Amino acid sequence: MIALEHVTKAYPAAGGRKQLLADASADFASGHNFGILGANGSGKSTLLRLLAGSEMPDRGTIRRDVRVSFPLGFGGAFHAALSGRENVAFIARVYGAAVRQTVRFVEAFAELDDYFSMPVNTYSAGMRARLAFAACLAIDFDVYLIDEVTEVGDERFRRKCAAAFRERLRRSDIILATHNPHTVRQYCDRGVVLGGGRLQLFDELASAFACYRRMLVADGPCVSPSV
Amino acid sequence: MQDISSLPFGEAAASLAVPHGEGRAAQSGPAAAADCRFAEALLHRAQVEQAVDYCRRAWPAVGDDPDLLRICGWVFSNAECHDEAAAAYRRLIERCPEWTAGHRHLSAALAAAGRFEEAIEHATVASDRSAGDAEFALHAAALLAAGRRGEEAARYIARAASHAVGDPRLLADAAELLMQCDRAETAVELLQAAASDGGDDARLLRVLSTAEMTCGRLQAALAAVDRALVLAPDAAEYHLHRGHLLWRLDDLAGAAQAFRLAAACDPDDRNVRQAQMSLYCAGGLLREATAAGGDLLLRFPDDRDAAEAVLYLLNHRLDTIEGDYVVLVPEAERGLRQPRAAPSLRQRLCAQRRVIRALIIRETRTRFADYKLGYGWALIEPILHIALLSVMFAVLMHGRPPIGRHFFIFYYTGLIPYLLFVHASSGMCHAITGNAPLLQLPPVTSFDAIAARGLLEIMTDVVVAAVLLAAFLALGLARLPDDFWGPSMALLATAALGCGFGFCNAVLTVFWRSWEKAYNQLTRILYFISGIFYVPAMMPDWARHLLAWNPLMQAIDWFRAGFFMSYQPHWLDRPYLTIVATLALLGGLALQRGCRHRLSVPL
Repeated sequence: MIALEHVTKAYPAAGGRKQLLADASADFASGHNFGILGANGSGKSTLLRLLAGSEMPDRGTIRRDVRVSFPLGFGGAFHAALSGRENVAFIARVYGAAVRQTVRFVEAFAELDDYFSMPVNTYSAGMRARLAFAACLAIDFDVYLIDEVTEVGDERFRRKCAAAFRERLRRSDIILATHNPHTVRQYCDRGVVLGGGRLQLFDELASAFACYRRMLVADGPCVSPSV
Repeated sequence: MQDISSLPFGEAAASLAVPHGEGRAAQSGPAAAADCRFAEALLHRAQVEQAVDYCRRAWPAVGDDPDLLRICGWVFSNAECHDEAAAAYRRLIERCPEWTAGHRHLSAALAAAGRFEEAIEHATVASDRSAGDAEFALHAAALLAAGRRGEEAARYIARAASHAVGDPRLLADAAELLMQCDRAETAVELLQAAASDGGDDARLLRVLSTAEMTCGRLQAALAAVDRALVLAPDAAEYHLHRGHLLWRLDDLAGAAQAFRLAAACDPDDRNVRQAQMSLYCAGGLLREATAAGGDLLLRFPDDRDAAEAVLYLLNHRLDTIEGDYVVLVPEAERGLRQPRAAPSLRQRLCAQRRVIRALIIRETRTRFADYKLGYGWALIEPILHIALLSVMFAVLMHGRPPIGRHFFIFYYTGLIPYLLFVHASSGMCHAITGNAPLLQLPPVTSFDAIAARGLLEIMTDVVVAAVLLAAFLALGLARLPDDFWGPSMALLATAALGCGFGFCNAVLTVFWRSWEKAYNQLTRILYFISGIFYVPAMMPDWARHLLAWNPLMQAIDWFRAGFFMSYQPHWLDRPYLTIVATLALLGGLALQRGCRHRLSVPL
């Protein structure tokens, strides 16, 4: 479970600091896959970094009793001057995983061939995403945090990722941030709507989508029906 | 009349048309009569516009001629000029007050013109005068019902019904008017009586069904519409009505079947499609509802309400869809993990050690990634530096160091603490800015990044110191220090001092990128005021008193004192350096901790 308790967070954006959460409390219960819906620029990535622990809230606490992955998104946690191999080895060391096995898994999964030994700054965006996906999958997390990346890569690789996640989802959960309800439907059984400083959890995906759609139309926070 | 409307006569009439000449007197009676007759002929040929034109021209001269007035009324009401028609009929009635049908015509014209009160007046006159005419009575009743005068309407309906026995059309009309006046029960009685007389008429039964439904007797209504459908099996509206009845009786399948039949009878009926969509929605059959809505939109693309309904349906369907989308493993198959206990202090230290080790390994790979010798340069650089300085000063000073006998050792003891401090403190400047992507990994904190860089610098310089010392020993240029404890403590204090400054530098560099440049200038000044290639004993007292505050000079002298037993300067204050180094370290750590929320923001 990842529990947010009275979390307040603002982050710098164009035109001053933007309020992401204002005294928000929410429980991301174990055993469920959550899809976080928010418009572009609503702070989904920041929320994921908060959940991961890469970033700290301005006020309030976030408790975790699970092993949470790093946010799997574009950019990623890769050092540009290091090769893919060295980056993966670094991640394995940080998480205390067997370095050689992890590197071998990623090498096979990401299909980067010779690029695996080249610095990451020579990679295309798609290759980077593939590396990030493979590196994240290689480590046994309880909760995987995914940021939009499901739309990256060619169709075949996407399917491969979906299959890998399906396998991994037997034991782990995912929390997925996206502005696309269809992606949520592919992976999640619960919906979260982020907007207007509020974080609304829905047990039913349909109500989350309805709320999200209302929010997009009204361009403001929606009042949740009795949840 | 029929022969008049025949084509040859019509053509003949048209050919007789006299152009409106100047010499033609507008008031002349015969001319008006000709115009009216001509208009009548035109109307028979369905040339309404021209007929009206001729009538209007004739109107001022028509006078009281009943025939001409009748023609004018007829032409005007056909052309929907109801006020003019009413005027014509009114004049006609004044001329022939006993002509009952005239009142009826006038009433219709007035009603069409929207003058209901007058229309009702003449309708009642017409009906009262010929009480046996059911049609006149119904007309009056309809106007009264529309005027919300239910009581009077009911009276006229009763009159109509009593004279309309055997005419199902009039009876159905009467029943509908009764329902309009909220007398559904009376309507049911009337219709049932008519229906039991054996006069089976589909429309009569359909109206009966509505009346029964209005009275709340759904089963009776269903029976009536069933009988109506036997007589008229292709009436879409009957099927639609039957579907609604079944729906209200909660027979959704039956209702769906009825709507399907209705749709088959009349595929272009919008109401049927809407009813289908609503029914499927209510029954939760979203797929069918969507299909019906799609059909509706296909036929009526401009139906905004239907489009919105379908959009809502599609969204709802997408939101609740099952099947190919859901790739989740069913709940039952999932082995839930046990929540992890909060890590113990030892586990946390282990994790931190792992992270710092990983960062150090990464650092050794990237720092000299472009050079062939890799991290070897980190060792070679200071070794060359010390060797070159030593040779230079040895030549300048004619081989005589200020203290001791080995000039290499003299410069060595000056440079090692200096380099240790400078490498540690300035090397940590970019610990955060250079590792920004790695800080995105939650276990990697800014503290880890800074500490790893500092530790690496210190380890490197310790190795450099050890290698140089071993080399000097091997070349016979030095001897082992008398006291290992002193130099080790001096190096420890220097490292702590360097780390303290390093933590501050790392944080300050995040906020001011140019801080590193400023700090490098400071280290150059330190090069000259720390007693690296001279001993403070050579200086005037005032200068030495001042320089004694320089912790780096204290560090160098502490380190040197361990190598040269004879060199025990009185200004050396070991506790002072220890305290300053400790304070610097604590200050640096405090600064890092205070700012840690702002250090991990992606750069």
